[in-house]
Amino acid sequence: MLELTQWQFLKHIIFRPFEGYEDLRWKKSGSMAISWGIVVLLFLERFFYERFYGFQYYASYDKIFNIIPLFFQSFILFLMWVIANWAMCTLFDGEGTVKRIFVNSAYALVPFIVSSFIGIFLSHFLIMEEYVFIQIIGVVGFAWSLLLMISGIKTVHQFGIWKTLSLMLLTLIAMVAMLFLIILLLTLFQQMLIFVLSIYTELSYRIRV
Amino acid sequence: MGKAFRRMFSMVAALAIFVSAFAVNLSALEAYDPYSYDRWWDPIPSQVGYYADYFADGVTLGCGAFNEPSGMHVSRDGLIYIADKNNDRIVVTDIEVKTVVREMRAFNYNGEVVTLNKPSDVFVDQYTGFIYICDSDNERVVKCDTEGNVERFFTKPDSELYSDELSYIPSKVIVDKAGIVYVIVPSVTRGAVMFSPAGDFVGFYGANRVETTGEILANAFWSLISSEEQRGRSVRSTPLGFTGFDIDDNGFIYTVTDSQDTSIDLLKKLNPRGDNIIDSLGVDEAWIFGDVPPLYYSIHARRSRLVDVNIGPNGEINILDFQNGRIFQYDSECWLMFVMGGIGEQLGTFRSPAALASYENKLFVLDSRKNNITVFTRTAFGELVTEATVLYIGGFFEESLEPWQQVLKYDGNYRRAYGGIGAAHFGNLNYGEAMKYFKLARYQGYYSRALAGYRDEWMRSNFNAILTAVSILIVCSLTLKLLFKFKILKKPQIRKLFSYRGKSNA
Repeated sequence: MLELTQWQFLKHIIFRPFEGYEDLRWKKSGSMAISWGIVVLLFLERFFYERFYGFQYYASYDKIFNIIPLFFQSFILFLMWVIANWAMCTLFDGEGTVKRIFVNSAYALVPFIVSSFIGIFLSHFLIMEEYVFIQIIGVVGFAWSLLLMISGIKTVHQFGIWKTLSLMLLTLIAMVAMLFLIILLLTLFQQMLIFVLSIYTELSYRIRV
Repeated sequence: MGKAFRRMFSMVAALAIFVSAFAVNLSALEAYDPYSYDRWWDPIPSQVGYYADYFADGVTLGCGAFNEPSGMHVSRDGLIYIADKNNDRIVVTDIEVKTVVREMRAFNYNGEVVTLNKPSDVFVDQYTGFIYICDSDNERVVKCDTEGNVERFFTKPDSELYSDELSYIPSKVIVDKAGIVYVIVPSVTRGAVMFSPAGDFVGFYGANRVETTGEILANAFWSLISSEEQRGRSVRSTPLGFTGFDIDDNGFIYTVTDSQDTSIDLLKKLNPRGDNIIDSLGVDEAWIFGDVPPLYYSIHARRSRLVDVNIGPNGEINILDFQNGRIFQYDSECWLMFVMGGIGEQLGTFRSPAALASYENKLFVLDSRKNNITVFTRTAFGELVTEATVLYIGGFFEESLEPWQQVLKYDGNYRRAYGGIGAAHFGNLNYGEAMKYFKLARYQGYYSRALAGYRDEWMRSNFNAILTAVSILIVCSLTLKLLFKFKILKKPQIRKLFSYRGKSNA
């Protein structure tokens, strides 16, 4: 009876956090294209937040523009969240797949992104004393997104609330562990590369002499 | 033709060389790179505000070489008093540091001859003309007149507050309008020792605070649960004593503290009660005096060690950095004006800068290892900045506009000038321009105020347009609603995109 397009589902979920995700699951709906779009928007939000915030609140360092941190704060962090959550859910007998976790998490980000964009927009018109309005909008958006995220993760794995919260906490810990491993791996590869290169240099000198 | 041309050419060339020999080199090449800070507190090359003019020492003065001089004071009548520590004398010279006016070695105390032992500082009371000398190794402060007649000694306080174990080796002295004597004793961490004009110990003045670092907090926690014996072994958290101070004409005392470990209370402005009121100058806790430590490669950067402070004739705050041999001049609102000096052997650099003094457009730096005084004179650029700053701080924003614009012609990176121009525009209710300049200067608070003005102005001038637009919108939406209601218009498909198809079917 619930015949919704993908866009309508998005709206349905945002305004009905608990019912919406269940409906999405029931209908086996949810678009990867829209989800990727949301992640791209998250990236844009990071970019605008960094570069185009009202000067009276934040003076950005205009000399250098480095896209890597912004890229990390959006794409990498989100993908890590999805993968870590998927990896952790097996310990809890969750039934989510990577795709469903991805879709549910991405949909949950929408209020946060929207509130942040509103904040960036308003920051050009409000003065320092009126910062509280931006703060309120930001807090509301963040809380809304958090609620959606909890509901989304809860639904995708068919968990109870406490199990969901502990899974989310574990996911965060797993993300830190992943970061640690990535850095370790990069450093080791770097060491190895240097080692190989120095052997090559040494040999090339010997051969020349 | 070729010959004539060549002759003419060589004549012109000769003339050019002749003329250029007379050209005045306006920007003297300094022995160091003058710099300033841009709006992100990154160092950036700048113009010199003061140039190292010449130096003078005991030999050029003809009074015998100095030996580790450590204190200097310029009196209001234009005499320089130098505490020549290891020669046990006070040398008084003229403001040019060319001739010796007086040499004070022996003093007359009620008919008795007294001498100095390692005098480390000297101060002249501008109201009474009395000279105060820190007679360090004799453990007293001498108050005498210009003839050398001692009026009073300020000796180790005989008080319960001043513990017997505590040594009393005065290192710096100042006197306020009421004749109260403030003495820095390095072993005292509770502030400056204060004496009444009659020579009685009054108390301590303006102690520094202990910075709340993680270590201090941890110590406080352990002391709660440890025994008396354990507590005795742990590190006591005591504040640092001052290393230098000066008093301005309004009676406020400025102190500096030499420390590389702490970041608070390094420069203080004290009111007569001993409270730090530096925040009244628009300065917060995190304000950095001296060199701003860089974010990266900070291992190689050496934090400034402030050893002396001097208040200039326009309320400029000059501080002396022992670590890098630099002088930092701030205006009376704590905005950096100029940086000069360095460590080295050339003119304008120092080995061990000990004391700083100023007189009109000159700065004097005493080096206790080079045993000389370097005289800095303000450049044309320095004069311009000073003029603009004095006008700006006096509230004459409009009048300061012209000099600030001149300053920008010399140095387009001079951040303070943008703020000054912004303030002038702000004063003229020219909010748009003010915002532009405050942004360039990174004055966020002022920018916010200019924005408020700009917003109000915009709203006022566009009020009719806004009102019209809003009423048109309301009327349109009402009409549409009515048209839909009476089925004159059908809701277009686009509206369905975001409404529930399921709901409309049900």
